[in-house]
Amino acid sequence: MFRNVLGKTFRFLGYTVQYGCIAHCAFEYLGGIVVCSGPSMEPTIQNSDIVFSENLSRHLYCIRKGDIVIVKSPNDPKSNICKRVIGLEGDKVCTSNPSDFLKSHSYVPKGHVWLEGDNLRNSTDSRCYGPVPYGLIRGRICFKVSLMLSSNCTCQKR
Amino acid sequence: MFRNVLGKTFRFLGYTVQYGCIAHCAFEYLGGIVVCSGPSMEPTIQNSDIVFSENLSRHLYCIRKGDIVIVKSPNDPKSNICKRVIGLEGDKVCTSNPSDFLKSHSYVPKGHVWLEGDNLRNSTDSRCYGPVPYGLIRGRICFKIWPLNDFGFLRASPNGHRFLDD
Repeated sequence: MFRNVLGKTFRFLGYTVQYGCIAHCAFEYLGGIVVCSGPSMEPTIQNSDIVFSENLSRHLYCIRKGDIVIVKSPNDPKSNICKRVIGLEGDKVCTSNPSDFLKSHSYVPKGHVWLEGDNLRNSTDSRCYGPVPYGLIRGRICFKVSLMLSSNCTCQKR
Repeated sequence: MFRNVLGKTFRFLGYTVQYGCIAHCAFEYLGGIVVCSGPSMEPTIQNSDIVFSENLSRHLYCIRKGDIVIVKSPNDPKSNICKRVIGLEGDKVCTSNPSDFLKSHSYVPKGHVWLEGDNLRNSTDSRCYGPVPYGLIRGRICFKIWPLNDFGFLRASPNGHRFLDD
């Protein structure tokens, strides 16, 4: 009787671990749904928007300038941030604010990217914490999932 | 006949994906064997040494000062580097070289770590590329497997003077 229960428990744990691993790898290498919060990417992405993020691009190293990416925050490894790639390694970026009189530029160092939010007035991004290492990129947002009143699912590209 | 082959192929692919995912998660969350190359961690880790790296500590955020970690290189996302953690966020670190006349210090920013190789004369580390975001840490090296005459837990840093106490 006890052996029966033990056997069933182990089989249950085995299946949980198995399907947990497969689900984890699917999120890691294919992609997943992400809920975005915050105003830094308005009007492209509003607070509480639901987007689909694919994770293949970062493994294949084909993130392009202009892509919106999800990045592990350089200041807080426990949270993720969502910004647009303005410059790749070697690109020239403008590091000064639009209100500054003197414009300053710099080049993005090797292995890094320059990120900025679309809502420039209300975004903490590379203009504050500098270029971000490519290795922190988690995925690329490819489309927004919005639920209309008639409960259809419409997807708009970026 | 054809259906049989197709069925077997799918079953084979299914098992491959299944066990591939489990193996990947084991490496990702538990740990794995790593072959180190380069002179920057001598004498603690020599070129071509084989070590075991555990990946739980970085997910549980319990990397400590003095740990040897494997980090995705900030200058090249395709390669990994192996250095010792000299300072955690908020710690004071010495940013000048021992040969400099004037010592300069700075504080490690939030969410970052300061890495240095044990072989200070021959190591490209945070003294060159600055503090490294914690998110780039892949795992913590806990003991050496090869060569057998050096089997066991890794020694403490030979550069104790680089750890500044507050």
